[in-house]
Amino acid sequence: MLSQDENLWYKDAIIYQLHVRTFCDSNADGIGDFRGLTSKLDYLQELGINALWLLPFYPSPLRDDGYDIADYTSVHPSYGSLQDFKDFLAAAHDRRIRVITEMVVNHTSDQHPWFQEARSSRENPKRDWYVWSETDTRYQGVRIIFLDTEMSNWAWDPISKSYYWHRFFNHQPDLNYDNPAVREAMWEVMKFWFDIGVDGFRLDAVPYLIERDGTSCENLPETHDIIRKFRKRIDEAYPGKMLLAEANQWPADVSAYFGNGDEFHMAFHFPLMPRMFMAVKLEDRKPIIEILEQTPQIPETCQWCIFLRNHDELTLEMVTDVERDYMYDEYAVDKAMRINLGIRRRLAPMMENDRRRVELLTGLLLSMPGTPIIYYGDEIGMGDNIYLGDRNGVRTPMQWNGGWNAGFSAADPERLYSPLISNAVYGYQAINVDSQRRSAHSLLSWTKSVIQTRNQFRVFSRGSIEFLNPSNHRVLAYVRRLGDEKMLIVNNLSSSAQAVELNLQMYKRHIPIEMFGRNLFPRIGDLPYLLTLGPYQFYWFRLRRI
Amino acid sequence: MAEESFLADDFLRQLMSVGEVDLLVGIPSYNNASTLEQTLQSVDACLRQDFVRERAAILNVDGGSTDETTKVFEQSSERKGPSHKGLTSLRTIHRISCQYDKSPSQGWALRNIVAAADLLRARACAVISPTTANVTPSWVANLVRPVYREGLDFVAPLYARSRFQGLLARDLLYPMSRAVFGQRIRELYADEWGFSGRLASQCLERNVWHEEAVRARPQAWMAITAIGGGLKCGQYFLGPKGAAPAGTGPDIVEAIRQTVGNFFWCMETNQAYWLSRSNSQPVSTFGPDHELSPDGIPPSPEKIFELFRSGVTELEPILASILAPDTHAQIKAIALSDRTKFHFAVELWVKTLYEFAASYHHTVLNRDHLVQALVPLYRGRLYSFLLEHANSSGEEMEAQSEILCQEFERQKPYLVERWTAKS
Amino acid sequence: MKEVIIEGLRQAYSNLVRMFAEFLPRLLVMLVIVLIGLLVAYLLKMMLRAVLHVPRLDRLSEEAGASRFLRMAALPSMTELLSRSLFWVTWSGFILIGISVLGVAGLQEQISRLFLLLPAIFVAILILFLGLVTANFLSRAALLAAVNAGYPSPKLLSWSIRFVIWALAVSMALEQVGVARQTVLAAFSIVFGAFMFGLAIAFGFGGRELAREFLERNLTEKKREKHEEPQPL
Repeated sequence: MLSQDENLWYKDAIIYQLHVRTFCDSNADGIGDFRGLTSKLDYLQELGINALWLLPFYPSPLRDDGYDIADYTSVHPSYGSLQDFKDFLAAAHDRRIRVITEMVVNHTSDQHPWFQEARSSRENPKRDWYVWSETDTRYQGVRIIFLDTEMSNWAWDPISKSYYWHRFFNHQPDLNYDNPAVREAMWEVMKFWFDIGVDGFRLDAVPYLIERDGTSCENLPETHDIIRKFRKRIDEAYPGKMLLAEANQWPADVSAYFGNGDEFHMAFHFPLMPRMFMAVKLEDRKPIIEILEQTPQIPETCQWCIFLRNHDELTLEMVTDVERDYMYDEYAVDKAMRINLGIRRRLAPMMENDRRRVELLTGLLLSMPGTPIIYYGDEIGMGDNIYLGDRNGVRTPMQWNGGWNAGFSAADPERLYSPLISNAVYGYQAINVDSQRRSAHSLLSWTKSVIQTRNQFRVFSRGSIEFLNPSNHRVLAYVRRLGDEKMLIVNNLSSSAQAVELNLQMYKRHIPIEMFGRNLFPRIGDLPYLLTLGPYQFYWFRLRRI
Repeated sequence: MAEESFLADDFLRQLMSVGEVDLLVGIPSYNNASTLEQTLQSVDACLRQDFVRERAAILNVDGGSTDETTKVFEQSSERKGPSHKGLTSLRTIHRISCQYDKSPSQGWALRNIVAAADLLRARACAVISPTTANVTPSWVANLVRPVYREGLDFVAPLYARSRFQGLLARDLLYPMSRAVFGQRIRELYADEWGFSGRLASQCLERNVWHEEAVRARPQAWMAITAIGGGLKCGQYFLGPKGAAPAGTGPDIVEAIRQTVGNFFWCMETNQAYWLSRSNSQPVSTFGPDHELSPDGIPPSPEKIFELFRSGVTELEPILASILAPDTHAQIKAIALSDRTKFHFAVELWVKTLYEFAASYHHTVLNRDHLVQALVPLYRGRLYSFLLEHANSSGEEMEAQSEILCQEFERQKPYLVERWTAKS
Repeated sequence: MKEVIIEGLRQAYSNLVRMFAEFLPRLLVMLVIVLIGLLVAYLLKMMLRAVLHVPRLDRLSEEAGASRFLRMAALPSMTELLSRSLFWVTWSGFILIGISVLGVAGLQEQISRLFLLLPAIFVAILILFLGLVTANFLSRAALLAAVNAGYPSPKLLSWSIRFVIWALAVSMALEQVGVARQTVLAAFSIVFGAFMFGLAIAFGFGGRELAREFLERNLTEKKREKHEEPQPL
């Protein structure tokens, strides 16, 4: 029986996101696999993360990087077998690393047997498992998500001579959640993986489960109802398992997915992410403060997931046009960097390989409220390749060393699932795990130590946040608090040195202890506390009252 | 011993927090609680709409208001919509306030504004008056944009006037400044204008802030500093000039004392520049073409003529010491003429003004008194103008105005001769 | 008898010659003193001029506005004024000393009295000068203000102010030098009082309307009546 605290493990998690295909290839076929991943678990344990989020590894025609699933209860042969997965899972759990996998609930691949059956004839029992229509005019006005490739949310099926609904690519027909059979089938899938030992699911594209005429077909009450029912069953049968929502919406709309603590455990805070990038470019804390002020309170057992980058484009859906234009002009001047209202670049290139800025953003990620997610490769400052199609530029092989295929695979370089990054700045000869491991001052070593520091204090994962708003707008300062534990975090968002006076009246007589060097700073007195920061510098102070 | 700084500690601290800006909008105030909010909203809206990415600050310089002016400024902060999605603006729009402890005047307020512009390294600045009732966001944008984007150093406003509005500017200040300084800037004494950070820094260095002439009307001095320094000037059409509420705004005597006094002082301190120049050049003008609007009832001028006539009589000894004998004689002659046939010729008017300017230079009597002695003569000219143009269209009046300007330019050598004569 | 007269004449003639002979050296001494005084005064004037050039007194007095007064009073520049004043004061002093050497009875006493009066005379001249300048300035200011505001009888107002200040200055100057102190004081009080009384009556009875208008315009917030003059700016 798990304790209450164990049930809330996701609050204290530091999640590392990767696709098994990109990490390590054990059988020299040029594609990463579970055995390879298993061999790298020590590295991940050393890094200090305690949860892994794996992108879809199911059998799939791979026309949407695995999000078009053709079989929910198996493993794509390129990545290994189901047994390989089980072995990996056991090894991860041995190292106290939990595993979160994808559950693409909204749609399947058109190669999935369910769809093959559904389209075969109108009388097929699985016909009603998908959303069909005689015309393409139902659900008018609903927005198209993949703007660059799709013209409509309806696609014509030449076999059954009717239209089917798809919010994503046309080869990903939406499942019909009004059909209890579909819900039951999904539950069976979840059970399958929970029984194997998976610790949680990221439910992909949850806002779009249900369609109704005259609505935006997003975030409908029926969708929440379905989630609630799933959650209830999970809590009863699999306590301690976690559901993470992927809902790219405004905070007020996303927080609905927490319900009263009876829907999702976690959800991504999408709108915060571009604003962290914006704040650094603008050298102004305003974007961050404003979006967090607009973020409603969530139930005690729930948690936001925060992140800097992920496998998708840096989405600019939840920003105003002005903000989007600004982000494009500052971070994606080359139009090749843009896709689907977003920017398909990695963290380090976006920061122009400025180590200080990378550290600043990582520091923000690890000190703001929420469970942080680190995208694979960002801990060593990997680069991207914007000339690969779709969003594959940020999904290149992990760079382990400066040798053959960056240590990713023993296969011929031409056989790799994706070319390596090989330019002089971000290439694997310059940026790789081995060389950074040798230096105590590399980005990797730094990231490790910051994660280690964070892991020592629960205040980061569970504490409240109170913004100090000093008159210098280039400094973002806040206090994290959990019981008696208080952390003062001060970040200089600008490229020039700054002085800031903080009103710390509430913490009078406390002694700030700088957490990376463990040095004492002058005690807080009656006057405003003066700090000076170098460009992009930040402080984590533990406020101790002795 | 170091000179005492005029920047208060609190003001300096606020500037430090802001750091650096691209745009600075200064609002000098004195007991403007009723109108300040409106002005702030217009400025704020302009910055949010037209200068989305620029770093901006709004500075309120208060002359010691006894009403709620400073409170209004403090409380006016960004307003968010009820359930707002996304940011209200990309950047923080800073608000800075300061007070100066001298008697309220535009000059002291401007000193603080240029100091802020210099310390904040602002590229473009504007001064907006809280007393102008019809300021819109586009006004602010039109004053700032030519400085920020086109590289001008001084931008004066252009107003759509009605026929009988702003006659002091149209019949005296503009033609005279055009002839003397060679730049055709129509509104040198407006309440709102734009300028560059570069010009602000230059003005800050000049130690003229204690001069009465600069304190009352610093904007023309700023423009003339720009002209004298070879910086680029321009003007932008804003819209109709709102009429000041009845009973407010300077009366004719005060207006002449401030503007003409200031102008003569500028002539005095910049003589090295203008003595050798002739002709005038147009300046960059932005905005649509516009004319004098035909509305505006000509005011009844009888009293004006009476004041002119009595002024000429009562001030005879004073005028005798200022004007050349034949000019004085001509003026005395027309003062005796029939009111209905009265005509103050353009040539005589120009000659009169130039003789006043030269006498100012030679300090034939106290300078403020000299400027005040001009008031009855201006009234005479005004009366003549109103009589002549009672039924004129805007176009006709503009044409006459151009003739007046050319007369000023034609007689400039006479001014130079009187100015440089031994006293 | 003839011999007595001739003797008397001869006696008187020799007395005269003797007096003249006694006077002549004194006269010579006086002339010498005066000449020396001229030289000394001239030297002092040149020295003071040189000394005052160092702090650039003329420039300072220009900035203080004093030079304007001097120009208007048709006086030379400050440096020149002070230097010349020193010259005349010094030479006057030497002349007075020279005269005292002459030994003319009674003159000595008068001369010392004059010496004692010099500071007072100087102050009195200063008061008159300041009074003149102030009277000119204020009366002109009043004249201009009244003319421009359209008040009736501006010249009367201006002249009244000039008279009052001038009368005050003259009284103060005379009092300073001690000339008929009581008389001057009484006369001034009477004239000034009468003048003020007259003004009060004029204002009170004859100038009711004007007084009301004046007070209304300046003490209440009443809006200016629909003005005849258009908005100047």
